Amino acid sequence: MSNKLNLYFDNAATSWPKPEAVYRAPEIQMREASGNPGRSGHTRTLESDRLVYRAREAVANLFNVEDPSRVIFAYNATDALNIALKGFLEKGDHVLFTAMEHNSVLRPLGRLRQEGTIDSDMIPCSEEGYPDLDFLEEAYRSNTRLLVVNHASNVTGTIAPLEKLIASAHKRGVKVLVDAAQTAGVIPIDVQKTGLDMLAFTGHKGLLGPTGTGGLYVRRDIDLKPLREGGTGSQSESDLHPTSMPERLEAGTMNSAGLAGLLEGINYILDHGIENIRQAEDNLRNHLWNSLLNLNGITLYGPKAAHSETVAVVSLTVDGTDCGEIGYILESNYGILCRTGLHCAPLAHQAIGTFPEGTVRLSPGYFSGMKEIDYVVSALQEIVKLSTV
Amino acid sequence: MASSCYITFPTIFYAIRAESILKNQTFSFKMVPVPRSISSSCGTALRCECSDIYQIKKYLLENNLELEGFYRLEEEGLKTPAVKVLNSDHPEVDE
Repeated sequence: MSNKLNLYFDNAATSWPKPEAVYRAPEIQMREASGNPGRSGHTRTLESDRLVYRAREAVANLFNVEDPSRVIFAYNATDALNIALKGFLEKGDHVLFTAMEHNSVLRPLGRLRQEGTIDSDMIPCSEEGYPDLDFLEEAYRSNTRLLVVNHASNVTGTIAPLEKLIASAHKRGVKVLVDAAQTAGVIPIDVQKTGLDMLAFTGHKGLLGPTGTGGLYVRRDIDLKPLREGGTGSQSESDLHPTSMPERLEAGTMNSAGLAGLLEGINYILDHGIENIRQAEDNLRNHLWNSLLNLNGITLYGPKAAHSETVAVVSLTVDGTDCGEIGYILESNYGILCRTGLHCAPLAHQAIGTFPEGTVRLSPGYFSGMKEIDYVVSALQEIVKLSTV
Repeated sequence: MASSCYITFPTIFYAIRAESILKNQTFSFKMVPVPRSISSSCGTALRCECSDIYQIKKYLLENNLELEGFYRLEEEGLKTPAVKVLNSDHPEVDE
């Protein structure tokens, strides 16, 4: 096995490849439309306005949002989570979050805590990444206003029991913010059915779009304080930012080139059917998991039961080795690209018992093939043999 | 002297939404820059026949759109037009 390939197993970081139309759309937008959305009023501006509108409508369609004005665009999920957390939380609020949260949640909460604005508590998670629902029931306080849930872990792929978590929070009038960084585009999400209050998503992972795109859904009964204010092209005579959604939470020139790509990514998903994408990714993940399961010298992390609900992420360690070294060998000897370390989720690694060393994370995507999975498995078999000599 | 009527929107989102949902209707309309005589805002307005504006307004409100203002402009070449604000839901009241 010395022929060097370029096998991409890092879709949890950013998806690759993208559908052909996603590559082309930003170029077309820049060459042929290119007006500044919301400004001027000439033909090119209007074309850009229509594009941003269509992208917003596509997101609303995908998540079954009734009113597209409740979808705002951001740079990525981290940006959207900052807009949600810093726009929603007020002095004296108490926040609950699960141990599987990414630093995109932990760090904004950390700052708000450090500044004395909020107080927060972590809901511990099992070794498989599931939140302790009994702990949650006891964790609410009279001033708890928000529960933050990572829909699926970027470390173990574990899917959170969203319905139970939302029911528990809503029983106490607590709002729920869902981080869909790993699930948007690969797991069907219906904001009306689930009743979730805010949903943060990124465009460059499961939605198959370019980096620099993402956004936030905000339920009708929530008014967020804007994180940034500025030009919107509307009500220009006023020195106050418009209060109407979506401009309320958007300021400055929109990323119309990026949104053109995002629109094509979502169209691709809607054309192929999210259920089919889910099934394909599930088959890839299960094949990878089952092939590695009985390999001596390898430990797998995540839900262990057969047919567990996960996204296409497998975390592993090779006994007695450094995960960074394994990642390096996978690339330099086999041409396999993956991610190693803590994956920006230190508390998740504490929960699954891999802190501070971290794991090797393999994340196939919709465009990966079963043969590629077999190749990765034989590469790991060879590495284990070498490491135990 | 010709009259044309304008609807303005609180945000560009509603202007484009209006255009999008009116596409399947029979009204004749155009999206244009907001005339400076109406507002100093730099957004986009909907220009339509004055005989249609009340029906368009009703249709857009039924579809939960947020609208800002309703105007009739008496236009004469490039001269600054006279503006009449149409505050009511009935043409005869606004006359």
